[in-house]
Amino acid sequence: MPAALELRNLRKTFGKTVAVEGMDLVVPQGALYGVIGPNGAGKTTCIRMIMSILFPDSGELSVLGRRSALEAKDRIGYLPEERGVYRKMKVGAFLTYMAQLKGISAEDAASRVPRLLQDIALPGVEGKRCEDLSKGMLQRVQFLSAVIHQPDLLILDEPFSGQDPVSVRLLRDHILKENRRGATVLLSTHVMANAEEMCQHVVMIHQGRKVLDEAMAGLRRQFDPRTILFEPIDPDAKPSMLAAVSGVERVEGNDGSYRITLAAGVDPAPVMARLAAAVAPARIELARRRLEDVFIGIVADGQRDGQSARALRESLAAGAEGAMA
Amino acid sequence: MSVSMRRIGLVAGREFMAAVANKGFVIGLLLMPALIALLAVAFPRLMTQRAEAIRGEVAVIDHSGQIAGPLRAALTPEAIAARRFETTRRALENAPAAVRSAAGSSSSAVQRVVGAPPELTILDRPVTADLQAEKQWLTEPPAPGGLRHLALLVVQPNAVVAGDGRTDYGTYELFVPENIDERIETELYDALRESLVSARIRAHNLDRSQVEAVMRVRRATSVTVAAGAERQTNVAFNRMLPFVFAGLLVFSVMIGGQTLLTQTVEEKSNRVIEVLLSAVSPIELMAGKILGQMAVSMLVLALYVGMGLFLLMSFAMFGLIDPLLILYLVIFFVISYLLFAAVFSAVGAAVNEMREAQALMTPVVLALMAPWIFAPVIGREPNSTFSIALSFIPPVNTFAMMIRLASPTPPPTWQVLATMVIGLAAACAVIWFAAKVFKVGLLMHGKAPNMATLMRWARQA
Repeated sequence: MPAALELRNLRKTFGKTVAVEGMDLVVPQGALYGVIGPNGAGKTTCIRMIMSILFPDSGELSVLGRRSALEAKDRIGYLPEERGVYRKMKVGAFLTYMAQLKGISAEDAASRVPRLLQDIALPGVEGKRCEDLSKGMLQRVQFLSAVIHQPDLLILDEPFSGQDPVSVRLLRDHILKENRRGATVLLSTHVMANAEEMCQHVVMIHQGRKVLDEAMAGLRRQFDPRTILFEPIDPDAKPSMLAAVSGVERVEGNDGSYRITLAAGVDPAPVMARLAAAVAPARIELARRRLEDVFIGIVADGQRDGQSARALRESLAAGAEGAMA
Repeated sequence: MSVSMRRIGLVAGREFMAAVANKGFVIGLLLMPALIALLAVAFPRLMTQRAEAIRGEVAVIDHSGQIAGPLRAALTPEAIAARRFETTRRALENAPAAVRSAAGSSSSAVQRVVGAPPELTILDRPVTADLQAEKQWLTEPPAPGGLRHLALLVVQPNAVVAGDGRTDYGTYELFVPENIDERIETELYDALRESLVSARIRAHNLDRSQVEAVMRVRRATSVTVAAGAERQTNVAFNRMLPFVFAGLLVFSVMIGGQTLLTQTVEEKSNRVIEVLLSAVSPIELMAGKILGQMAVSMLVLALYVGMGLFLLMSFAMFGLIDPLLILYLVIFFVISYLLFAAVFSAVGAAVNEMREAQALMTPVVLALMAPWIFAPVIGREPNSTFSIALSFIPPVNTFAMMIRLASPTPPPTWQVLATMVIGLAAACAVIWFAAKVFKVGLLMHGKAPNMATLMRWARQA
C-alpha cells in the first residue's frame, strides 16, 4: 500500500531564515499522525508545502500518490491555521460553496450540510450569517468545510487552537470519526497533551528539523527510570520518611501525592521495595514519560533540569495557555 | 495543474452574487440617476422661489428728447414679459422638438423659470436736472411705504440722431445704488435698446419690420450624411457624447476595480484566503474574482446605457447615436477592465488592509483619471497628433479611442483595431505580472509592501 504522504529531504528558507531543513516523513494510509513542536518550529511551513501553497526550495514530496497536492485537491481536506469565513455569507451557503469547489454537486452539498451541522452540535445554523456565530462555533463550521467532501487525506493545522474544552472534545471525536471512516489524518498542534491523547504516531519538529518520529504506543511504554509516583494510604504520612530512603534524591509534592526523584544511576526496582516498606503505599509506580518530557529530553540534550529545558517548558506552557484562551 | 473552468465559474458566481445581492449595491446603483432626476426636478423650483418681482423707481434724464416716452412703454411689465418670451422662443428654436415641448411654449412657462417681470415706475427728470443731486437721490432710502430708488438713466443727446452723415451714435449712462439685482440692468438695457433702435429707424424714415426682415437669416440645423443614412446633427449632443462615453468607461471600470480591491483585501484580512487556496489555485481564484466583478460592472454598464438609450428614445433622439458606438464601448470596457482589474486584485492581494492600498493605488487611480483630464483636448481635436498618440499608449489608449470614436470625426478603422490589439497586449502583460504578485501576496502578512516589493515578488513567483 503506497503512503498517503511522503516528504523527502524538504528544505524551505525565507530570506536568510531556514524554516524547514532535511524533512523526511512517511504517513501510511489510514494513519493518524500528530506533528508537534513549539510555536515557530516549522509545522505550518511543512503543512503549507504539503498543500502546495508554498513550494520547497529543494526536496520532493508525494501526496496521495501524486507529485503535488494540486493534482489531488478534491481528495484533500485542509483546515489552515489562518482560517476565516466570508463574514456576510450564510453558513449553509459557505459550506455548499466550499463543497462545490471540491467537486461536489450543489444539490449533493446542500443535502449534506444540515446533517453535518447537526452532527457537530450546530443544528439549524445554516441560515445564519457567519458573522453571527461565536468563534468556537465558526471553528466547527470551518472544520466541516474541510471534511464535507469526505477527503482521503485530512490535514489540520492547529485544529484545537482557541477552543474551549468541550469544543476540543467534540472536535477530537470528529477527527477520530474521519479517521475511522478511512481518512488519513495529519494534524499539527503545539499542545502536546492533545496529540498524546489521540494520535497513533507523533512527529516532533524543533527549529525546522524533525527530532522524533515514533508510534505513540511505543512512547507510552517508555518510563522515566528516575521518577517514582507515590501515594501513601495514610494521608498524614511524613514525606521526610520517603526522603530518608537510600537512593532517593528529592521528594516533591504534598496532599498525599508525591513525586520522588532518584539519584542518577540507581536501579529503581529495589528503591520501590524500600519505599513501600517505609510508608504503606496506596499507589506506587514508575512515572510514564509525557510527550513534553520526551521533547525536552531530546532538544535539551537530556539535561532536563538545565536552564534551556526550563525555558522550553515555560514556552510550551505559555503556548498551551494561549491556545486555551 | 490544469486550470479548472468549473472552479473559476464557481468563484465568479460567488463574487457576482456577493456584490449584487445586497442592499448597498441596489442603493448605489439607483443613487446616481435618482440624484440627477432630483436635481432636474428640484433645481428650477429652487430658482423660481428666489425670483420674486422687483419693484422700484427709475429716474430718466433724456438729453435726446425722444426716448422717455418709448422707454416708458418698453418698461411696462407686459412689454418685459413679451421680450423675455421672444428671447426664450429664439433660444429654443435650435433645441430638439422634445425639449421644446417639454419647456412649454406659453409665456407663463417662461415666467415660471425666470420669475415675474419687475414693476418699474419711470420718473422723468428735466434735462436741466443736477446730475450730482440725482446721484444723491439714488443713495437715499425710500420714504416709508415708498418705492426703492433703483437706477438713474442719462440718455446722451446724440443717442437717436448722430451728427450729419455720421454713424457714431451716442448711448446712455447708467447709475445704480449698491446691492442691486443685476437682472435690472439687463432689463433696462433691453428696453433702452428697443426704444433707441425704434427711434433711430424712425429718424431715418425706415420701416422697422422691413429692417428686421432684411437682417434675419434663420440658422439651419445641419444634417449629418453618413453612408446609407442621414440624421439631424445636434451640436450640443455631439459635443457631449465623447464625455458621456469616456465617463461610462471610467465609471464602470472603477466600480469593478474598486470592489475587487476591497473584496480581496477583506478575504485576506479575515483569513478566508488560505481556506480557499486548499480548493482553488491562486490563478483560478484571481480569474474567478476578475470575471465575477466584470459581470457586475457589465450589469451596471448595461443598466446605465439602457437608461440613456431609453431617455434618448423618449426624446425621439435615438437616431443621434451610432449603435456601433455601444459595441465599441463594450469592447473597450472589457480590455481596460481586464487591465485595471488585474492591477486592483494584485494590490488587494499584496496589502494587509485598505489603508496600505492607498499608496499603491495612487498611480492606478491617476491613470484612470487621465482620460478625464485629456477628454476635452481629445474631444476638440480628435485627430491631432496628441490624440492619435494617446490612443496607442496603454492604459489610456482605450479611453482616448472611445472619446475619438464618439467625436464628430471618428478615426480610421486601422487605428481602432490597433488600439484594441495594443490594449489587449497590455492587458495580457499586466495580468501576467499581476498574477505573480497575487500568488505571492495572498499569504504575505506583515509589513506594508511597496512597488519594489511587488517587483521582487513577481520575480520570485
